[in-house]
Amino acid sequence: MKLIVLSITLVTFFFSQIQPALAFCGFFVATADTKLYNQASQVIIARDENRTILTLANDYQGAAKDFALVVPVPVVLQKEQVHVGNPTVLERLDAFSSPRLVEYFDANPCQINYPAEERIMRSDAPSSAGAMKKARNEAKDLGVTVEAKFSVGEYDILILSAKESNGLETWLVNNNYKIPPGASKALRPYILTGMKFFVAKVNLGEYNKNGFNRLRPLMMAFESPKFMLPIRLGMLNAKGEQDLIIYILSPKGQAELSNYRLVKVPSDAEIPEYVQTEFKKFYKSMFEKSYERENKKVAFLEYAWDMASCDPCSAQPLTPQELKEAGVFWLDSPSSRGVFISRIHVRYSRETFPEDLQFQATANRELFQGRYIIRHPYRGEDKCEAMSAYQKSLSVRLEKEATTLAQLTGTDVNIIRNKMKLPSSSVQQQKNWWNQIWH
Amino acid sequence: MSDPRYYQIICLSLFLVLGLSTRDWTLRADFILTAFASCLITQFLWTGCLKNISFTSSWPSSVITALGLCLLLRGNHPLTMAMAGTLAISSKFLFYSPWEKKHFFNPANFGIISALVLTKDAWVSPGQWGTSWWYLLLFLGTGGLILKKIGRWDTSLTFLLTYSLLLALRNAWLGYPVTVLQHQLTSGSLLLFALFMITDPRSIPNATKSRLLWSVALAILTVCLQQQFYRTDALFWSLFALSPLTLLLDRLDVSSPFVWQQSPLTPPTDHNPSLN
Repeated sequence: MKLIVLSITLVTFFFSQIQPALAFCGFFVATADTKLYNQASQVIIARDENRTILTLANDYQGAAKDFALVVPVPVVLQKEQVHVGNPTVLERLDAFSSPRLVEYFDANPCQINYPAEERIMRSDAPSSAGAMKKARNEAKDLGVTVEAKFSVGEYDILILSAKESNGLETWLVNNNYKIPPGASKALRPYILTGMKFFVAKVNLGEYNKNGFNRLRPLMMAFESPKFMLPIRLGMLNAKGEQDLIIYILSPKGQAELSNYRLVKVPSDAEIPEYVQTEFKKFYKSMFEKSYERENKKVAFLEYAWDMASCDPCSAQPLTPQELKEAGVFWLDSPSSRGVFISRIHVRYSRETFPEDLQFQATANRELFQGRYIIRHPYRGEDKCEAMSAYQKSLSVRLEKEATTLAQLTGTDVNIIRNKMKLPSSSVQQQKNWWNQIWH
Repeated sequence: MSDPRYYQIICLSLFLVLGLSTRDWTLRADFILTAFASCLITQFLWTGCLKNISFTSSWPSSVITALGLCLLLRGNHPLTMAMAGTLAISSKFLFYSPWEKKHFFNPANFGIISALVLTKDAWVSPGQWGTSWWYLLLFLGTGGLILKKIGRWDTSLTFLLTYSLLLALRNAWLGYPVTVLQHQLTSGSLLLFALFMITDPRSIPNATKSRLLWSVALAILTVCLQQQFYRTDALFWSLFALSPLTLLLDRLDVSSPFVWQQSPLTPPTDHNPSLN
């Protein structure tokens, strides 16, 4: 029996998480108790040496007037340093780097083998992001200085510095921001380490005038030795775990966390056919299981690749223009080494991730992707000598696929066997050599 | 097996095997072989040139250096590892003080810093061990065993205590909960460094008082580099920067230098212990 690749179908996976995503790097604060939309938050960090362009995805779906955001930033940002990005770029990055399902079709064991044809199908993965809300600001002096105030696109932005956290909290409350309890304590370390606060809300006039129907990502460019994401703020009101997907773009190579362990997701696993229709569910369970196995204390690497290529491709590589929109600013320099993407998936809670995420860029150019394989059995009625050998090896393989899936997702292997409609008795018989002698 | 270096080789090899099999590292066989080859060959060449030290008595130290490099240094090309190994071993002979009769750079540390500075290709992964309790106990246990044998546990303890205290003070000032300190201290890489790297008796001050002072300085510099300058590899840089201080501290004190193998039959003048 030979496996021939007659076609390769790729299904991109989009991860969605049903959890209140109050904030990932800052607060989302509302004027009213509007329900926040629950999806994984996404961040792009494009960094070369100390220069960073940070993009915060914004998939808020409530009323624009309720949107508000507070994020700690290392330096005061001027208007030229803030830009409103293109939401499609996040979708493209998501599609390019998401875990992929690859299909192979077994050839007819009775026939001559044909050379393989590759056919790649792509499906667009919608982007995901946390919801954000904000209210209006007014300048008030509680040790709070408005370092800068400007508008970019549909956003009105303030950069604040504060002398002490109670003052900042009071100021925010006085300006109708609904601050989660305990905010002052969480703000304190950022104030003491000299960080500023980026406060954004929607300029309704601009928003309505341009007919936007969703808020676009916010991008900030700055220079700072700090390579981190302040997730501690976002944990204030979190009832459980929150998901964050970080795309780190670097000219050097893979990025990793320096204060937490980074683990690769299980990959290159052969799984049963039926998973094709429930790939999202499978990936979610597998991620959950891997996460629990690591005692919930690690971050996961889902993709690490040079962006000039892909194999197999779940989406076309990003064009230089798209890379620029994602924040890549070093492509024009003559010594540019291209772009390397690391897709890091963090599921964090206060207990398991007490520190803010700190990253480092390494020169590691090893490639990795989350890839899951489905082999469709040949279902024809041909009869020949090779067919019985094929059927035998097939049942062994199917059993292996079932146990692989059980191990990856923690599902009971018998449930899987039922779904696969595996004739368990015959498989068992095959496994036990004594059955062949005496039965 | 009175030579504690053998224990250290066993422990470090155990960590390497564990790390490769359970911690998802990217280290490849060619890197490991290159590290060992470069360390052993360099040691062989240097001892061949110098009359007063033999390869047979000094090879365990090279193996320890090679293991240290495998555990801590990463790169894209095996050449990076080869360079690190060669420079690491050579530093023992080049940066050697004939008055104090010792080398003052920890060889593995020197190799790591050279690779970080001279190539664009090398890195260290502070998060590679994670915070699993099991590993920490393992490091503590084996480290303690070895340190008792060479009598340098005071260095590790002082370093760790000072480091913890500084971090605790800083966290209290920032208002962090105690879970942050817990997380910062349960780093496998930190323990590996504190128990196995800064305790190489051949490259740290001789006298107890000097060692304690040196450990305190090391902890202070490390915390500075980490928190003020955001260096993720602060441990290695501070050890490197403070290594020459060893000589100064030894000059101010006249303790006898450390000898790896004390044999009652061998007269002391026949040993040149500081090149081990």
